[in-house]
Amino acid sequence: MAGKEATVYIVDCGSTMGEKSHGRSQTNLDWALEYVWDKITTTVATGRKMAFAGVVGLRTDGTENLLDNEDDYAHITVFQELGQVLMPQLRKLRQDLVVSGTDGGDAISALVIAIQMIVATCKKLQFQRRIVLVTDGRSAMQADDLGDITSKLKEDSIELVVLGVDFDDAEYGFKEEGKDATKAENEAILRQLCDDCSGVYGTLVQAVDELGVPRVKPTKPVPSYRGMLTLGNPEEYDTALAIDVERYPRTMKANPASASKFVIRSDMAAGEATQSTHTIDGEEAAPNGTNDGLAAVKTARTYQVDDENAPGGKRDVDRDELSKGYEYGRTAVHISESDQNVTLYETSPSFDILGFVNKNQYERYLDMSRSNVIVAQRTNDKASMALSSLIHALYELESYAVARLVMKQNKEPRIVLLAPNIEPDLECLYDLELPFAEDMRSYRFPPLDRVVTVSGKVLTVHRNLPNDDLQDAMSEYVDSMDLSTFGQDDAGQPAEYGAMDETYSIMLHRINQVVKHRAVYPDTDPPPPYEVLTRYSQQPSELANTAHPSLSRLIQAADVKKVPPKARGRRYGRKDAPKPLSELDVGALLAQDSKRSSKQACIDPKNAIPEFKQLLQHAEELPQLRAACAQLKAIIFDWIRHSVGDSGYGRAVEAIRVMREEMAEVSVAAAPYNEFMRELKGTMLDGGLGGERREMWYRVRVNRLGLLLAGECDGGVSEEEGRAFLSAAPVAAAAAAQ
Amino acid sequence: MSDSSNYGHGDEDEDEEEEVVDEAGYKTSKDAVLFAIDVSDSMLTKPDDADPKRPDTMLSPTVAALKCAYALMQQRIISNPSDMMGILLFGTEKSKFQDGDVETGRGGLQYPHCYLLTDLDVPAAADVKQLRGLVEDEEEAADLLVASKEEVSMANVLFCANQIFTTMAPNFSSRRLFLVTDNDYPHASSRDARNSAAVRAKDLYDLGVTIELFPISHPDRGYTFDRSKFYNDIVYSATPSDPDAPMPLSADIKPASSTAKDGISLLQSLLSSVASRSAPQRALIRNLPFEVGPGLKISVKCFILIKRQEPKRTSYIYLPPDSDKPQIAVGSSTLVADDTARSVEKAEVRKAYKFGGETISFTVEELAKIKHFGDPVLRIIGFKPMSMLPIWANLKPLTLCYPSEEEFIGSTRVFSALHQKLLRDQKMALAWYIPRRNASPVLAAIIPGAESRSEEGEQQVPPGLWIKPLPFADDIRQTPETNLVPAPDPLTDAMRVIVQQLQLPKAIYDPRKYPNPSLQWFYRILQALALEEDIPSVPEDKTLPRWKQIHKRAGGYVVEWGQVLDEQFRMWQRDNEKHVKPTTNGAAKRTKAEPPSAGAGGGKAKKVKHEDGEEGVTDAGMREAYATDALSKVLVADLKAWLQGKGQKVVGKKADLVDAVTKYFETKMDVD
Repeated sequence: MAGKEATVYIVDCGSTMGEKSHGRSQTNLDWALEYVWDKITTTVATGRKMAFAGVVGLRTDGTENLLDNEDDYAHITVFQELGQVLMPQLRKLRQDLVVSGTDGGDAISALVIAIQMIVATCKKLQFQRRIVLVTDGRSAMQADDLGDITSKLKEDSIELVVLGVDFDDAEYGFKEEGKDATKAENEAILRQLCDDCSGVYGTLVQAVDELGVPRVKPTKPVPSYRGMLTLGNPEEYDTALAIDVERYPRTMKANPASASKFVIRSDMAAGEATQSTHTIDGEEAAPNGTNDGLAAVKTARTYQVDDENAPGGKRDVDRDELSKGYEYGRTAVHISESDQNVTLYETSPSFDILGFVNKNQYERYLDMSRSNVIVAQRTNDKASMALSSLIHALYELESYAVARLVMKQNKEPRIVLLAPNIEPDLECLYDLELPFAEDMRSYRFPPLDRVVTVSGKVLTVHRNLPNDDLQDAMSEYVDSMDLSTFGQDDAGQPAEYGAMDETYSIMLHRINQVVKHRAVYPDTDPPPPYEVLTRYSQQPSELANTAHPSLSRLIQAADVKKVPPKARGRRYGRKDAPKPLSELDVGALLAQDSKRSSKQACIDPKNAIPEFKQLLQHAEELPQLRAACAQLKAIIFDWIRHSVGDSGYGRAVEAIRVMREEMAEVSVAAAPYNEFMRELKGTMLDGGLGGERREMWYRVRVNRLGLLLAGECDGGVSEEEGRAFLSAAPVAAAAAAQ
Repeated sequence: MSDSSNYGHGDEDEDEEEEVVDEAGYKTSKDAVLFAIDVSDSMLTKPDDADPKRPDTMLSPTVAALKCAYALMQQRIISNPSDMMGILLFGTEKSKFQDGDVETGRGGLQYPHCYLLTDLDVPAAADVKQLRGLVEDEEEAADLLVASKEEVSMANVLFCANQIFTTMAPNFSSRRLFLVTDNDYPHASSRDARNSAAVRAKDLYDLGVTIELFPISHPDRGYTFDRSKFYNDIVYSATPSDPDAPMPLSADIKPASSTAKDGISLLQSLLSSVASRSAPQRALIRNLPFEVGPGLKISVKCFILIKRQEPKRTSYIYLPPDSDKPQIAVGSSTLVADDTARSVEKAEVRKAYKFGGETISFTVEELAKIKHFGDPVLRIIGFKPMSMLPIWANLKPLTLCYPSEEEFIGSTRVFSALHQKLLRDQKMALAWYIPRRNASPVLAAIIPGAESRSEEGEQQVPPGLWIKPLPFADDIRQTPETNLVPAPDPLTDAMRVIVQQLQLPKAIYDPRKYPNPSLQWFYRILQALALEEDIPSVPEDKTLPRWKQIHKRAGGYVVEWGQVLDEQFRMWQRDNEKHVKPTTNGAAKRTKAEPPSAGAGGGKAKKVKHEDGEEGVTDAGMREAYATDALSKVLVADLKAWLQGKGQKVVGKKADLVDAVTKYFETKMDVD
């Protein structure tokens, strides 16, 4: 786990910090605070109890510190003693750290106070100690005792970070022209101090710039397997090979902070609970009951079993009445308490090589999991040498090993790929899980480089195949957008662009950013994402410009056309009837069928959907559409009315869907469906379809079978109306039921 | 350690939440398959040239089809637990339809010579049992599998299937009729009967049921199935009017032959063609815009082809007091407010983040804006050689994308050009990838995958581009510090021989050869329990190494390698002696005192653990502590480290850990 740390921030609040320098729109203090808040909130976000922060105001109007009876320590205020900072402290600090009306206050004295705070809190314990001084260096400093301070800092191993507002920094390339003499002198003193105690000295602009580069949280490696890597069976044969190894994660998804669910407390009016920060309900809430008007949301689970005698065919059962088991198909398999382990495939930890495969024939799409690194048992030199020979042999033979791994007792075996890696100071195997037979789905798609036609011919020229021109254009474009040398390394040499270690988890840092921002600035809109997070959302413009001619050529050769939005206004009855492979005219056959051919044909409820669709094929006038819909409506109502529990709902939903889809296609025909839908809702919720049918209405809602919208069909309703239609009812129904 | 699995679940749920598509739309995304198997005299005739040594080849086509259905049923219980399946025999002497349902007057007489063996539903244990009885018990089969004397009406068969789908699987997104027959020309003499079958087929088409034909030929009788006589009137294709249209792949399955040719029996060929169609091809994402470059968009569909199949989680079972038939309890969740326990509508819920002991909340709109990085897209940023993609750069299974013409005409040819170029030059694309609305954007590598076909020409892996989400800097862990001792050349040479001796067949990993042993065991036990059979005692595990072969092929070389290792290590120790100073914790000293366990002939005696002096106790040390009853004096950290090294659970109080160690030695005693 992370160690203890204590950081004291000394923030200069002098009147000069209220100035806006160098054309910046913020005051120097606000600018400096961007850095300070970021650091403090980062610490807060970790939630670590032993990550202490303290804040000392320099050049404050008041004076409040341990030595405040001495003149040298005037205008220095300890705003926050070292300790864990939580929201209340953060809120207080926000009010404390404001520009003062004074210029008095010595930065060196503030340092002394900070050192004392650390000494008093950390004593001789294992702490990572740090003091961060942010100042514009515009007030006089007494530099007499610097030697003592240096040695104290060193003695207690306190790291000193000095960040100056518009301090010169040759390394970063910043120089302020026309600097006043005091500032220049102070800069020199502070620089010297940092050099003496091996601290960090920098200019604020650099620090603020770097806030945009997310920090990656290091994680201590924890082995997921320790034991033998074997080839052969040491239990049975004396020719088996065994090497002591350890396995650590190599990649592991870092997830963004997850939000918890809340609702506004029922005893609160909606307006009262809109402030942005809230106290968690429960133990941590302030004792006086000032809370945020939010109540946590929990998930309650209820269980039902079929029961013929219960209304609706289902009955609630208590969790206590249930026992554990499994589903085998639709059969419940009960497993008694004592048999819990019967389905467990017993294994013991092992790591066995099955054999070796050719690296060049390995298909990367088989990679199934995050990856791990396998090294020899640490401190075991012989194992290290032994593993090294395997790594080198695999490397030289361009091979990978395939192994069976059981990480812990009774964990399921997994097949992993072992790939060698050789670096100057690291030799290891990387492993990735491979799929089992059950994990592969056999989907099939036509080949992409040729077309096999229905008639069995193999074509190489076809509208779905690229011609030579398109192939050439694509090839040229791909080559022109090469990223392998487009980036730059630290030394300014060409390097890979968008390398993985330069990309940051977008949502993780985005959420951190806005949460931290809101904690400090509750009334401000969230800031835009850091540039680095969206940098790879577009092609790098410089390269895209160079590649533009090849892209233009590609676009021309590709001749891609957007499919126009659904061809509107199909005249009913004109749809090309689908035909079987033989192109037999089934329509004609249908026409011969006396029961189906007549325009007033009666839909057989047993074959309702096909016959409804076929009826529409002939429908030529709106009245006929209406008549067809009316027939289907009667059938649907019947199904719902006679449904035992939900037994008829599935068919009804299907029929409603079909009617909706068919009517949406005939563009003038929103009316028949919408009339039907309104009638259905009214009748059903009034209990007109065989009693309580709320479940059926629920299905209509989740299947989104509400009114046809204007966007879907001419004559449809507006989106708001559609939404209101779907949502209004259950409230009313629920109210009626209570 | 113990909470890592919980953590994993939470993780998944989080993901799930994001991945559940709101656009799921109208239909239940489930699959229903109804097998319709022809029972005619010719279908019941065993092949003439059967090989008595191979019982597979002795089956009549009907029985082979039933076996195939049986295999599929078992497999789907594992792989698609919520999908439905049913079996309809047609042409039988007996007739049977759905039980009961007097109301609508559906009786057995309505569909003469149609015998509904298993009604369409999620299979129950009883269905599996019944079907197995039929395929394994010849007497039972003989009783039922009798061909009717009069010809069964195909129109009736199809309408019967229609009714089964209509009532049992309403609103399913995928409904398929698997038709197994060797009769390519039913109703040869009656045009009317053929026409009414065509009408009923159209009904099925309008209902959204796909007919998949499994035709059977009899080469031994000089009979080849001809689709054009009848079945082309029954089966529909998506684009029938264009003769140059690419043939749907499902149609390229050749008629299975009733006789074993090339050693492939009818059963095997049926199994493989059913297997290839068993999973309905569900797209993970339909019509994802794929931006090849600014101004050049095409559309693709994404598919999950590889996914870890896990055993089912336990569910709650209700044992009614008055019956011995356990029931599955269906759970449903509702959100309730903590303060008043009133239930909460989804729209009322707000999201807030814990921070500094309080919560930081955002309105729904704000959060949506914060998380919005643009609409779903797969956008190419540029290209890199495949060699720049390190093998470890992976987080989860890849998804396959394949072009679709639905949004952009010409998508396929552009995709094909890109696919061919990337394959040819072994390049990949780097892409900005937002799979669905409000999903976290990721950077992904797009890598080309070639089509792979079996020796028989069956497609095994389709061609396409694979999307591989890459780890961010935050997802990459540092490698642990190691003390590297590089292998001298003679040692590597000795190892190389071993590696060369033990290539897997064709030097590739073929997943099809490795069923998941835990999963198979889980379902075998579950099946035994469900069918009330004896529980099998010996698990079959095809993932175990072939130790005997390894011993035979490489044993000698391993022994040689072990000798070289000993030799080389001694030399290395001598050379490094002067540099190695015993460290304060005595780790170096211990290394010399006890022989390291790396090496050949790693018999039981040699399994001595070495731990870092700081954190470990040796096996010998622990055994001594055990023998002298002094385990309670061992530090908790040491107990934990030692147990972890043994792959034991390391949770609980010290007493639990001591117990675990004691238990370990108690069982090991017997072995030693």
